[in-house]
Amino acid sequence: MDPLRSYLGRLLLEEVTPVVMVLTTPLAEAACRKSGLSLVDMLSPFSLFKKIDVPVRTASDQPYRLQMFKIRMVYASDVRKQDYEATDERIKPIVSEANESALPDLLSDPPQLEDVLSKPEAELCPLWIRKFNRALMRTLSFSEHETFDHPVACLLVVSSKDTEPISKFVDLFNTNQLPSLLNEGVMDPQILKHYLILHDKQDGPQEIAINILAEMKSTLGLNDCKLLCINSSTEADGVDAEDSWLPYKSYGLHNQEGACWLNMDDLNEIKDFMQDLASNHIIPYMEQKIRVLNQQVATTRKGFRNQIKNLWWRKRDDVPEASNGPMYTFTSIESQIRVLGDYAFMLRDYELALSNYRLLSTDYKLDKAWKRFAGVQEMSGLCYFMLDQSRKDAEYCMDSAFSTYLRIGSSGKRNATRCGLWWAEMLKTKGQYREASSVYYRVSNEEPSLHSAVLLEQAACCYLLSKPPMLRKYGFHLVLAGNSYYVSDQKQHAVRAYRNALFVYKQHPWSYINDHVHFNVGRWYGVLGIFDVAIKHLLEIIACSHQSLTTQNMFLNDFFHFVQSMGKKFDVYKLQLPAINMSSLRVIYEDHRTYASDADVNVSESIWQELEEEMIPSSSVVRTNWLDKSPDLRKYKDSCVCVVGEAVKVRIELRNPLQIPVTVSCISLICQLSSSLDASSAENIVLTKDAGEDISNTRPAISTSEDDGNNFTVSKLDIVLGGSETKSVQLEVTPKVEGILKLLGIRWTLSDLLVGYQYFEFDTKRKTKKGKRGPRRSLSGNLIVIKGLPKLMGCIDHLPTNAFAGDLRLLKLNLRNHSDYAVKNIKMKFSHPRFVIPGDLSEVDLEFPQCLRKHIQSEINTVPTKRTHEGFKGLLFAFPQDIKIQGGATFSWPVWFHAATPGNFSLYTSLYYEMESPSDITYRTLRMHYNIEVFPSLDVSFAIKMCSSKLKEYIVRMDVLNRTPSESFGLHQLSCNDNKWAISTLPLCDSISSVETVSANQAISSFFKIKDLGANSCKEAEDSCRSDMLLSCEGGTEEFDVSRSPITDFHCQERYQQGRLAKGPCDLLDFILISKAVGGNYSKSKQDVQLLSHHVCHCSALDQSPIWWFMEGPRTVTHDFSKSYCEANIQLVIHNSGQHDTSVRIVTFDSLTDKRTTVNLQDSNSNQGGWYDVSLENDIKAISTAKGTHYQKQPSDSISPYVWSSLSCAQVDLKPDTSAKVPLKACIFMPGTYNFSNYQLHWKVHSSEVGQVDENERTGGGQGHPFYVTVLQDAQ
Amino acid sequence: MASTACFVIVSKNDIPIYEAEVGSAPKKEDLAYQHQFILHAALDVVQDLAWSTNAMFLKSVDRFNDLVVSGYVTAGHVRFMLLHDSRSEDGIKSFFQEVHELYIKIFLNPLYLPGSRITSSHFDTKVRALARRYL
Repeated sequence: MDPLRSYLGRLLLEEVTPVVMVLTTPLAEAACRKSGLSLVDMLSPFSLFKKIDVPVRTASDQPYRLQMFKIRMVYASDVRKQDYEATDERIKPIVSEANESALPDLLSDPPQLEDVLSKPEAELCPLWIRKFNRALMRTLSFSEHETFDHPVACLLVVSSKDTEPISKFVDLFNTNQLPSLLNEGVMDPQILKHYLILHDKQDGPQEIAINILAEMKSTLGLNDCKLLCINSSTEADGVDAEDSWLPYKSYGLHNQEGACWLNMDDLNEIKDFMQDLASNHIIPYMEQKIRVLNQQVATTRKGFRNQIKNLWWRKRDDVPEASNGPMYTFTSIESQIRVLGDYAFMLRDYELALSNYRLLSTDYKLDKAWKRFAGVQEMSGLCYFMLDQSRKDAEYCMDSAFSTYLRIGSSGKRNATRCGLWWAEMLKTKGQYREASSVYYRVSNEEPSLHSAVLLEQAACCYLLSKPPMLRKYGFHLVLAGNSYYVSDQKQHAVRAYRNALFVYKQHPWSYINDHVHFNVGRWYGVLGIFDVAIKHLLEIIACSHQSLTTQNMFLNDFFHFVQSMGKKFDVYKLQLPAINMSSLRVIYEDHRTYASDADVNVSESIWQELEEEMIPSSSVVRTNWLDKSPDLRKYKDSCVCVVGEAVKVRIELRNPLQIPVTVSCISLICQLSSSLDASSAENIVLTKDAGEDISNTRPAISTSEDDGNNFTVSKLDIVLGGSETKSVQLEVTPKVEGILKLLGIRWTLSDLLVGYQYFEFDTKRKTKKGKRGPRRSLSGNLIVIKGLPKLMGCIDHLPTNAFAGDLRLLKLNLRNHSDYAVKNIKMKFSHPRFVIPGDLSEVDLEFPQCLRKHIQSEINTVPTKRTHEGFKGLLFAFPQDIKIQGGATFSWPVWFHAATPGNFSLYTSLYYEMESPSDITYRTLRMHYNIEVFPSLDVSFAIKMCSSKLKEYIVRMDVLNRTPSESFGLHQLSCNDNKWAISTLPLCDSISSVETVSANQAISSFFKIKDLGANSCKEAEDSCRSDMLLSCEGGTEEFDVSRSPITDFHCQERYQQGRLAKGPCDLLDFILISKAVGGNYSKSKQDVQLLSHHVCHCSALDQSPIWWFMEGPRTVTHDFSKSYCEANIQLVIHNSGQHDTSVRIVTFDSLTDKRTTVNLQDSNSNQGGWYDVSLENDIKAISTAKGTHYQKQPSDSISPYVWSSLSCAQVDLKPDTSAKVPLKACIFMPGTYNFSNYQLHWKVHSSEVGQVDENERTGGGQGHPFYVTVLQDAQ
Repeated sequence: MASTACFVIVSKNDIPIYEAEVGSAPKKEDLAYQHQFILHAALDVVQDLAWSTNAMFLKSVDRFNDLVVSGYVTAGHVRFMLLHDSRSEDGIKSFFQEVHELYIKIFLNPLYLPGSRITSSHFDTKVRALARRYL
C-alpha cells in the first residue's frame, strides 16, 4: 500500500506542513469580522491545495512535482507552547459532542457478534475519534525541540483604513509583539515576510488601497506586497451566498453569524492569493533554505574530517553541560540540521530528511539531549514509513522514540502519546493490529482518564480487526475504556463501550464478569434516565448468589431504585427473584379421589390403590362410562379432571438465592378457563402450545392471566423469603364453570414494585416416563372441569400424634358433606387394623372407659364380637346401608384406637362413598393419612412352668418393665383370653403382685398360678377362680370386660400379628394386662384417664409335654417297724393332655443312679435311721454348699432306703385327654422322710398321621417328681 | 508465596470449571472481577499460542500492568490459567504439572462429567496446598 494513501500518510501530509504566521492590525481583523470570520478562518480553507502541481528541487539536482500541499495559517499570538490543561479542555467537547450522536444508538439492542465483525473499519473507528487523535497531537504544536511548527513565513496584514499603513507594517513585525519563542532564539526570526493590504469595499473605492499598494511596493519590496479586496457583496447574505460557500464547506469553513458579505469574486481572489503565496513564495523560499542549509551541513558535518572534528569538539564541549542537555538555539548547527530535515520532510524529500535526522540522532545521543533525540527518532521513523522502506527500522525508531519520551518523565508524556498514535497508525496501516492495540494500551496508561478511554477504545477496535479477531481482548479493553469514560464523566460513552462488549461475555458464565458488566451498564443507563433498559440489564444480575452480601445489597438497591423511578409496575418474564424450582411443580387436584389434608397428597398413589383395591369398582369401567357421555371431551382422555367449586392446588418451591430477605406478594396462578362452548378455540391454543414451548416463552400476553372473576378465582399469597431460604407455596385456583382449565404459569409481585411471571414447562416426554407414578401428579397443565359433585370432608378427632404403647382410646370420625347433594353407600378401610378399628353406632355416646367395664346385665355379656376371625390384613368396614349423609350435614362415627407396638406408623384411611344423584363420577374416595409415633411403655413378659404337683396347673412369672423415662403406670387388671383359664394367687398371697404402681424404669416380677378349667368347667368355678384378676385394690370394682369389643377385637389383631412371629405351635394362652397411667408428664397433660392394654399372646410353658404325672398317696404313714417293714401304697396319676394316643412306660429303680436323689437322701447329720433333716427353704443355698463338701464322703455303694415292691416296669396306653392311675408300692424299713422319685416315665405318641408331629414330640421322658412321705414309728 | 494469584481452569468450551484465589493477599470483591476479566482476555492469546508449541506449559502468555498470566493447556484443550505477580517460572511449571495430575484424577472419576464444574473439596485443598508450595 502506498504510504501516502494510507491514513497516516494523509495525516502527515496535512499535519506536518509549513506554518505561516499571521500578524494583523485590529482594523483588518474588524473587516473580516463583518462576515463573522477571523482572518485565519477566512484564509484557512484555501490553504489546502489538492493539486498544486509545483516543481520542487531540493538538495539533489533532480526536480520533482508536488501534488498536494497545505500551509497552516496561525496567528502570531498562537505561536507558543500550549498549556496542557487548556488544550485538554479543548479536547473534551470533541468527545462530548459525540455523546449526543451516540444517544439514539443506546436505545437500540446491543450489537451482536455478526454485526460487529461485518462492520467496516471506518465505522468501528468513527470520525470523532480521528478528530480527537488529531487534537491530541496538536496539543504539542510549537514545542521547542521540533522545528516543523516553526513559522516558515510571516503574513502581515494591514487594513486600507489604517492610517499610515506602511509604518503599521513595520510596527507589526516589531520584536516586542512577536511570540516569545522567536525572541528567545528557539525560532529563527529571519523568515519570509509577506505584506498584505486588506481592503473592505464597503469602506470606499478600491483606489485608496491601490495607492497604498503602490507605496508598499516601493518601500517593502515589489514581490512581497499584495492587495486583497473583501466584502464586495452589496447586500448581506446575498442570494448566491449559500451556493458560493458550498465548495468550501468541506474545509471546515462555517459561517455562524449568517451575515456574509463575501461574494464569489472575493472568494476567488482569496484563492488566487493563497495559491500565489504558496507556490511563488513559500515553496521557493523553502527550497532555497534547504539548499543553503544543506550546503552548510555538508561543509561542517559531512565528510570524514568533519565527523572526527565533531566527535572531538563534542566531547570537549559536553563536560560542562547540565544533564538536561545543551540549550540549542536556532543558530546552532543541530537546530539547523533539524530545520533542514523538517523542511525536507515537508517538501517530501524524505531521503534527505532521513539522512539529516540520522545525523542528528547521533549528535543528540552524545549530548544526552533525550527529548530532542526522541523527536528525531520519531521523525526518522515516519520517514522510513513514508519511504515504505525497512519496516523494522521504522518500528525500531518509533519504539526507541516512544520509550525515550517515557523515560524522560512527565514532560515527555504527551510526546510519547503522539509518537504512540503515529506508531499505532503505522502498525495499523501494515495490518499489525495486535501490536497497534498494545501500543494504544501503553499510550493510554500515560494519559488522563478521558484520553485513555478513547485510546483504549481504539485498542479494542484493533483487537477486533486483527486476524483472527481477538474478541475477548476486544471486550476487555472496551470495558476498561468504559470504566475510564465513566471516571471522566462521559456516561453515554461508558454505556456504549460496555454495551458493545456485552456480546463477548454473553454466552460464557464467567460470573463476576457478567455481574460487573450488567450492573454497570444497568446503572449507567439508569443514571442517563433510560430506566427500561437499565432494569433489563439489572434483571440479569439480581439473583447473583455468589456475590457477597454487600454486593447483593448494592445490586438490589439500585435495581429497586430504578424500578421506582419508572413510576409504574411492569411485568417481567422469567424474573429470577425468587428462583422457581420448576421440577418441584406439583398439581394437586381432586377428581374421584379427595384428600382430607394437603399432606396426604404426598403419599404414593400405589399405597392408596392397594388400600382401596377391594373397596372401589374397577376404575377403567367407571372412566369409560362417564367419558362416553361427553364425546367432546374425548380428546382430553389423558387429561385430568377437577370439579367446579373445588380448588385445584399447585405446589411449587420458591427459593431466594440472595442473602437478603425479599418480600414476595400476590403470588398467584396464571390460568385460562375456556368453557366447553368455545372448546374449538381452546383446542387451537392447545395445539399451538404443543407446537413449541417457545411460543409460551415469547408470548408476553398477560391478558389470559388476569383474574377472570366469572370463570375462576385464584388465591393470592404473600410471603417473605429470608436469606437463602426455600419455601414451598401452595396456590389455588377454583374454577366456577365447566370447561377446560389451563394452568399456564405463576405470577408474583416482588417488593411491591414489579411483577414477575413465568410459564410452567410441562414436559410431555416426562409424562410418559413417569406415568407409573400415577396421573395425580399431572404434568400437563390442562384439566377438565366437570360439574359440581358432593364432597365429604373428614378427619379423626383427637387422633394422637404420639402415644404410649398399649394406649386405648375412643375417638370420633367426623365427616361433613359440603355440597348440596347426599352421599350413600359409605365404606371405610384402615391400613392398620391393629391400631384403629371402627366402632359401633351404639358406642357413639358411650363414656370411655366406663363402657368397657363388666356389666351385670347378661345380654351385654353375650353380645357376640362382630368380626373376630376375619382377614386380619385389612379391614373393610361398610357403614350400614341406611346411612346417608345429606348435603351440609355432619356425621360422626366412633373409632377405637389402640397403640399396639412402639414405633412410627403411617395410618392410611380411605373412605368410599357414592353419589345419591347421577353425575359424571359415580363415587369418590376420601383419603386420610396420619402419622403416629408410639413410645414404648410397659414391657410385659410371662414365663410359664408346669406345676409338678397338680394336674393342669401352671406357675406363671410375670415380668413387667416400665421403659418410660418419667411415667408411672398402675397395674389394673390381668386377664386371660379364654374363660377356661383361671388365674389365682399363690397360696398365702393376697395379690399377685406386691406393688400396684410401676414407676419409671422400674421392673417387677410377680408370680401366680393359672389353672386349666377345661371348656365345661368354667361356670362352676366362677367365683373362686376367674380368668380376670384385679391387681389394684382401690379400683376393685372397675373390672374391664376383655371379651367385648373393642378389646377383644384388638386382641384378635394382636394374636394374628404376634402369631406370625411366634415360633412354636404349642401356645397355651394369651394374657391381657390393663394398666392406667397414674403419674408423670404424659398423664398430667391429658385430662382423660389413660388406659393401656398390653396383649401378650401365644404364651407357652417352658417344659411343655403332653403327659402330666404326679404321685398320689398319704403324706404321712405311721407304722410299727418292730413288726414288719412298712409298705407305702401310692398311686402315680398320669394324664395325657396331647392330641394323640400315647403309651407311657413307667420304670422304677432302686439303685441310686441319679445323683440328685442321693443328695436329698444322704446327709451328714442324718443318723442311720434315714432321718432327713428338712431344712428351711431359705437355706437352700447352704445346703447346696454342704452338698458340695460332703459329696466325697458319700459311699458309692449306698443302699436305697426304700425298695419298690410292686413292679419295676409298667406300660399304660392313654387316649387323648384321659387319665390313668398306676398303683405303686414301696417298702420302707425304718422311719424317716422319703422321696419317692426313683422312677422314670417314657412315652411314645402314636400318631395317625406320620410327620405331623416331629421326632422330639413323638417320644419323651421325664424323671419322677419329688414326693416326700414321712414314715413315723408307731408308738403303740 | 505470591501476594496475588488467581487460578482458573477453563474447559474446552471456555467455561471456568474451577476458580480459586490462591494469593496471600486478602481477597477483595472488586478485584475478583478484574482477575476474571484479565484471565478471560488472556484466553485469546492462549488460543494462538496453544497451536504454536508442543509443550503444554505456555509460560507467561499475557500481562496486564504488573500482573502476568501463565497458561497450561492439557491434551483435551482444558486450560489452566494462573494470574500472578511472582516471577518464578519453574515454580509455576511445577504447580501446573501437579495440578494436571490432580485434574486427571478428577477426570478419571466416573461420576465426574467432563466439562462440568469441579466441586470436589479435596481437589480444592490440594490445589491450595500446591499453590502454597510452589508460588
